[in-house]
Amino acid sequence: MTDQTTPPTATGPRPDAETRVPDGERPAATCDYCGRPFVDEHLHWLHVGEHHGDALGPDERAAHEDALEAERDLLFFYQLKVAVALGLIYSTTALSMMFILG
Amino acid sequence: MARRSPRVAAVATLAAAAGLATGPAAAHVGTLEGATAESPIPTWFVVLVAGVVVGASFLFTSLMADHAALRWVNGLGLRAGLSRRLRDGLASVLGAASVLGLAAVVAVGLFGPPAANDNAASLFVWVAWWGGFTITTYAVGNAWPLVDPFRRLAGLVPGDGRRAYPEDLGAWPAVVGVLALVFLEVVSSATERPRVLAVLVVGYAALAVGGAAIFGAGSWFANADPLAALFRTYGSLAPLQRTEDGLAVRLPGAALTDGDVFRRPGMVAFVLALLWATTFDGFVSTPAWTAAVTPLAELGVPAVLLYVLALAGGFAGFYLTYRLATRRARDSAGTYVTAAAIARWLAPSLVPIAAGYHLAHFLGFVVALAPTLFAALQAPIAGPAGLGYTVLGLPDWFGFLKLGFVLGGHLLAIWVAHSIAFDLFPGARQPIRSQYPLIAVMIAYTLVSAWVVVSPTVPTPYT
Repeated sequence: MTDQTTPPTATGPRPDAETRVPDGERPAATCDYCGRPFVDEHLHWLHVGEHHGDALGPDERAAHEDALEAERDLLFFYQLKVAVALGLIYSTTALSMMFILG
Repeated sequence: MARRSPRVAAVATLAAAAGLATGPAAAHVGTLEGATAESPIPTWFVVLVAGVVVGASFLFTSLMADHAALRWVNGLGLRAGLSRRLRDGLASVLGAASVLGLAAVVAVGLFGPPAANDNAASLFVWVAWWGGFTITTYAVGNAWPLVDPFRRLAGLVPGDGRRAYPEDLGAWPAVVGVLALVFLEVVSSATERPRVLAVLVVGYAALAVGGAAIFGAGSWFANADPLAALFRTYGSLAPLQRTEDGLAVRLPGAALTDGDVFRRPGMVAFVLALLWATTFDGFVSTPAWTAAVTPLAELGVPAVLLYVLALAGGFAGFYLTYRLATRRARDSAGTYVTAAAIARWLAPSLVPIAAGYHLAHFLGFVVALAPTLFAALQAPIAGPAGLGYTVLGLPDWFGFLKLGFVLGGHLLAIWVAHSIAFDLFPGARQPIRSQYPLIAVMIAYTLVSAWVVVSPTVPTPYT
């Protein structure tokens, strides 16, 4: 009777969240597939690949790949900062612990 | 709750008198403040470190930025079908038993021993059910729909109600209901006097039947019934989940990440009410609360009013802080997703926090008073006076365990929020950035709840 659940795929359908563009503002990009507005092209192409990956044409796929590449680079620098922050937090906490325990 | 009520203090005194627990341990039965007060580390530092751990855990979690892997982890599990006949059979047997149990609680409450610590109904309701059963709903799975006696009674009402349940009202009646229940538990004498408890149980049943008569049992229990909403919400954290045709075992909290799981209007408020109710329950027995209330009460301000104000004000504070944080998340993420949608999507991440705090608050209470409950059950009407009491003393390290539950809840919350944010926003950096305001709020919650947990417990004043 039991079976392994099928792991959800990264492109599986998920309910979408409501959006609202403030009056007088024009979104930088809007998804052709679901109409979701984005504040920049980069996020738009990330979204298109993640949510509508099966339906993309070659141009769209290339745009998504580029956005993904850029995201990876930016993420690397972000994570470098996180690693430094973690190190600082850890050493500060450990030092103050030693100080308090005398 | 009863933990700091005079009745449990009485139990503790009794235990000490009977020589069943040593002095300090007996004090801990009622107070459970544990080791942190005596440890060489100052309390404020313990609280601060708890906040730092939550912040650092967020940073650490942000390193896990692979959306597919997150989904894979949250999708792990086993599913099993359950035959409809078995399920229906189980439901009718347990349903009938639960109604008998309810009748027994009312009967023993009314005609059993008048003191709560002798009365099997009081001990059953507060120790086994409000404490113990609630723990099973988030630690194992939500069995309440199977054993809910109120639902059975309401099911006897013929027809589908006289009018449609107003959809916009959603869970709001349950928000008011859960706050009212905690208020009654803290302020009324329901924890000390079994007669009062029995009357409250009958009143709750009447409300459920009345609600079902007006709106139909299905709508009432899906929306307005506070206990059903409470256990359903806690149950959404549990590893055991109901599926269309059976059961699934998943990682704790994984079901919370399925995406927009609290769609009903008012559910965000309900989760925050749950969080605040659990915090309030502990907060009113801190020395700080006594210190704040005493001068005001001496000036003639009615104590009940102070409790109402604290309960309502605290809830409003929690709710508005959360809504403000989700509005800020819209800016920190740079998105057109509405603040209301962000609030709704991320609300499930607050459930583990409430559960962790509940566990810290109640596990010791349940363990310590379980033997008293068993003694009382042996003679529900006559009372166990001749049988003697056993109240378990808890070891000193229990205080650290409690702090661990609070922290554990927050860490799971961070994982859940992280997983949800990756579903809600594209890429990796926007999901991470969207969580900044929420993490700030979570750190604040950690500081508050860790402070309540490590504070010495004193009797709730003026109740």
